[in-house]
Amino acid sequence: MSDVVLELKDAAFRHSISSRSLSKPFGKIQGTGIYSINLKLRKGQILGLVGPNGAGKTTLMRVLAGIFPIQKGEIMYGDSKTNPLLPTSELTLRSVVGHMPEQVRWQGKVSVKRTLEDIAEMQGVAYRVDGILTIVGLSEMKDSQLDQLSQGMRQRLTLATALLGSPKILLLDEPFNGLDPVAIRAFEQLLQELAMKGVSIIISSHRVAGMVHIVDRLALLHKGQLLIEGTLKDIENEFELDSRIEIQGPGKIPDFEKILQGSISILESQNTEHGWTVIIRTKDDSLLKKLVSSNIEISTWKVKDADIVEMICAATGQDLDEIGFGVVSSTMMPYKSRGEEE
Amino acid sequence: MSDFKKIRSVAMRHFSNKLFSVRMAIMLPILILFIPGMAWGFSDPKVMLPGGITPSSATEVMFYTSLGIVFGATMCAVLLSFDGVSKDRASGVLEIKLSQPMQRSHQSVALVIGHWLAILVPTWVLWAISFVIVNYRMGDWPSLLDGIVSFSSVALILLWYVLFSLIASSHAREQGTSIAFGIGIWFLFTFLWALVTTMVAFASGVSIGEENDPKWIDLEGILDLFSPNGVFHHLLETRLDDAERGVSPLITWTVALIWSILPWYWFNSRMNTIQP
Repeated sequence: MSDVVLELKDAAFRHSISSRSLSKPFGKIQGTGIYSINLKLRKGQILGLVGPNGAGKTTLMRVLAGIFPIQKGEIMYGDSKTNPLLPTSELTLRSVVGHMPEQVRWQGKVSVKRTLEDIAEMQGVAYRVDGILTIVGLSEMKDSQLDQLSQGMRQRLTLATALLGSPKILLLDEPFNGLDPVAIRAFEQLLQELAMKGVSIIISSHRVAGMVHIVDRLALLHKGQLLIEGTLKDIENEFELDSRIEIQGPGKIPDFEKILQGSISILESQNTEHGWTVIIRTKDDSLLKKLVSSNIEISTWKVKDADIVEMICAATGQDLDEIGFGVVSSTMMPYKSRGEEE
Repeated sequence: MSDFKKIRSVAMRHFSNKLFSVRMAIMLPILILFIPGMAWGFSDPKVMLPGGITPSSATEVMFYTSLGIVFGATMCAVLLSFDGVSKDRASGVLEIKLSQPMQRSHQSVALVIGHWLAILVPTWVLWAISFVIVNYRMGDWPSLLDGIVSFSSVALILLWYVLFSLIASSHAREQGTSIAFGIGIWFLFTFLWALVTTMVAFASGVSIGEENDPKWIDLEGILDLFSPNGVFHHLLETRLDDAERGVSPLITWTVALIWSILPWYWFNSRMNTIQP
């Protein structure tokens, strides 16, 4: 197993919110944030950070980027056996991390190259600008004004800023927004090449499906708390979301319990005027063979991937109605405690 | 790359971005009209100012020309810097800048110096041209010390207005608030301060506007220390023979230092805690 380059130990950060009153006109209270996060990132690993809106993904990314100082716990960084994991400052973090924030609205009459040079000057690496523009596919647009860029081009420019200092850790907040499918494929390839070279990458997204094929591990964040971290298979096993198959067919729904004699559990079944749909969970490899030999007509057969809603529901014990749109609630986590008093 | 070099190069980027901006191209004619234009007018041998005053030396002409700095250059300083932080904050670029391996206090120093230089360099050039115009029209040069005080005072007042604008810009969530705050401060000190002075004089029982009343002159002199424009004129008056408003040059320079340090400290503290 490769070396751990970054470790969060009980890291916590809560936003300050104005709470004005006559007695305290400049009063502040602690708002939402992230709570007691424990996370390890290994060299060359791609970690997917997933969670619904308001889960704390961006806050965690900003903590890792050295923008928000943690209020509790530790962030440790080390890049080799000679430079072991040690508590690190925000400035040191910023020198090893490349941060790509979500949806930067580049605007103005300034050229792409000059804009990138402005940022590069803050690291003293203005000489690298041309090379980085080539990597992100903007070399032909380098003299274009920012106002002329499409959303996808702006995303590439933001990525270019993150790559400027040859980062050891790359933080990408919703990086695929606005990119066309071709650009997404090229982007993913670039990320995999960087990971091969030893760059550790954290990709934050509210969509699991879009990144499961490139991430090594997933971390599920909800209401500021890390619910679970592991490979997709680990998480699916943990929440019993693995081995699920969605089957569709015409006519009336067959009696699967009777045909397969208890080797499955039916999670969902639905009968419509066009046919039937069932979702079953089974580890029986000969299921399809058994169904075909029982003369059951099947129109669709697919392995069902777990999505983020299912993961959160499974992790918290809540159902979709309970989760709803309440993204900033500070109610207690059902899955595990925050490790601090409210 | 050393911290100093980093600050210098980032400041130079801000400087050149602002100096060659469309905004500067629009403001330059205003600066030319207000600074060399005023120098040309005040250095006319036949000029008669309200109150029957005729400027008799180059230093005196440049003192009156400083109105062009107060009305024109300070306004341009505000218009140039009002979005120094707020634009980046609104667009998300500030988050990228704050994640760079450059200390926030160094970033704030580079911001101030870059924006300050962008208005200072053209203003100084026009100020120097004004000296030449005055010499051409009157055949007189200010002394070296007069020149140094004059250029330093111009630099300081522009620094103060740049700092006010950047402070406003760093506190504002959007650019409308930022420019309203910057222009508001400019308006207060340029136009409304006379009203404040008058009200304090009235409340203190001093006869208002009596230019030969020593009480009025002293009160106005003291209240001017609370306004950047007033301090600017106090600084220039330190080189005028017949200007006596009850404030010593030492106090004037000390107050000028305070006007420089306190807003800078405020801006630096703000940048150290700002969130994207």
